Amino acid sequence: MTWISKTITVFGGLLLAHACYSAQEHSALQSLRAATSTLTSSSPNTAALPVDIAIETVVATLVILLGLVLGTRPLRPIQWRVWAGKIEREGEEGFVDNEGEVNKDYVGNPFRMLEARPGFVDIRKQRREFAQWVKNGDSAGAGAQ
Amino acid sequence: MAPSLLHPPSQLSHAAALQLSQQAPAVLRSSPSTVSASPLSALFSASESPELWTKYENLLLSCLRTGDERAAHQCLERLVARFGNDNERVMAFKGLLKEADAENNGQLELVLKEYDQILSDNDTNIPITKRRIALLRSLGRVSDAASSLVRLLEFSPTDAEAWSELAEIYLTQGLYAQAIYALEEVLILAPNAWNIHARLGEMQYMAATASGAGAGPYRKYLAEALKRFARSIELCDDYLRGYYGLKLVTSEVLGDSAGSTKQNGADEFSLPDPATIERLNELATAKLSEIVRHAAARDPGWCGYDELEVAAARELLTKDASALPGVVR
Repeated sequence: MTWISKTITVFGGLLLAHACYSAQEHSALQSLRAATSTLTSSSPNTAALPVDIAIETVVATLVILLGLVLGTRPLRPIQWRVWAGKIEREGEEGFVDNEGEVNKDYVGNPFRMLEARPGFVDIRKQRREFAQWVKNGDSAGAGAQ
Repeated sequence: MAPSLLHPPSQLSHAAALQLSQQAPAVLRSSPSTVSASPLSALFSASESPELWTKYENLLLSCLRTGDERAAHQCLERLVARFGNDNERVMAFKGLLKEADAENNGQLELVLKEYDQILSDNDTNIPITKRRIALLRSLGRVSDAASSLVRLLEFSPTDAEAWSELAEIYLTQGLYAQAIYALEEVLILAPNAWNIHARLGEMQYMAATASGAGAGPYRKYLAEALKRFARSIELCDDYLRGYYGLKLVTSEVLGDSAGSTKQNGADEFSLPDPATIERLNELATAKLSEIVRHAAARDPGWCGYDELEVAAARELLTKDASALPGVVR
């Protein structure tokens, strides 16, 4: 999936570079011809860009766009139940950006706070439970050795 | 994946909390110790971000939980240096630290007196009010905590967190009707909270089983619980907790189908007909087994479930399969 989009983007970039180079060559040729034509005083010809270069530029832009669009991650769900189900089913793995990092605004279930209630946290109970857990973990580890 | 410091750590497992608090020295070293609030110095030093202070708060909570008081005090010092001693949130954190440092009930009573002192100066200090209620509950004075909470809700009736705490306090006292009322208030404030819908369903199921089959409110509570679980699933696809509750309730109703089938009053939600309940039960069974299968195989896109919840669902399914071999397919 990603290599297809990358190949298409690179191909589009090459096309665009080729179009730019052609346009530059064309204008150089035109100025040279204009310099010589003042000597020969032939018809004043307009330096219009050939239509194939214009077409190539447009096509290259579209190809690059196609490659970039193919390479983006799927859009986020906009239906509440789908979005909520994604949070429950995939956790934070479902909310990574293009670099593979979890999105900064990902908070999981935003209503979890109503069950955790950080304003009413009973820190002494948490400490007791943690101490118990450490003790149990140690005794389990000692038993395994 | 490592837990992020940007999320409140109350619901993390012990191992994750330990991992977070072990990051404390590195975080404290890499973050600036003081950020001046004056605009002139902000021109020359690194700009502060709201995330930094969220990090300090969460680090403080994790360190307190794992008993790393030195790092917790450092976090608090930085919060105080930035926001001052009379910031309400900082005052609550200072109280929290004192609660954690207290060694016996006498010292806790002193902390409680301090809270009372602060509240007599300014009785709209909501973080300190909440700390006081939590401390009362932690000391075992649950009815005091409940009455204080009711007083808090009288002048701040839109505080969903406080309503939810009130529901839990009533539940520990066995006052199901009051607990359900308080949780319904939470749902008025947050109507899309799928976990609160499931929680309300669980409470109603508990109330139904506590009152016993055949009692008056039994079928009313079951019908309400069925409605709540169905709503939580409607709000959230593949919600393990919702389907678990749905399966429990429908099994209970089907097992009780011999009981009274008299219609309730017109204004109350009555149970749907048995065929519908049968189909709901089958749906819940199918969904639960799908979730358990995917989660056990650790399929990509199915890793967000809590392992204990999946284990409980598996247990329910096996129990159900052994009891009713005809229903499970």
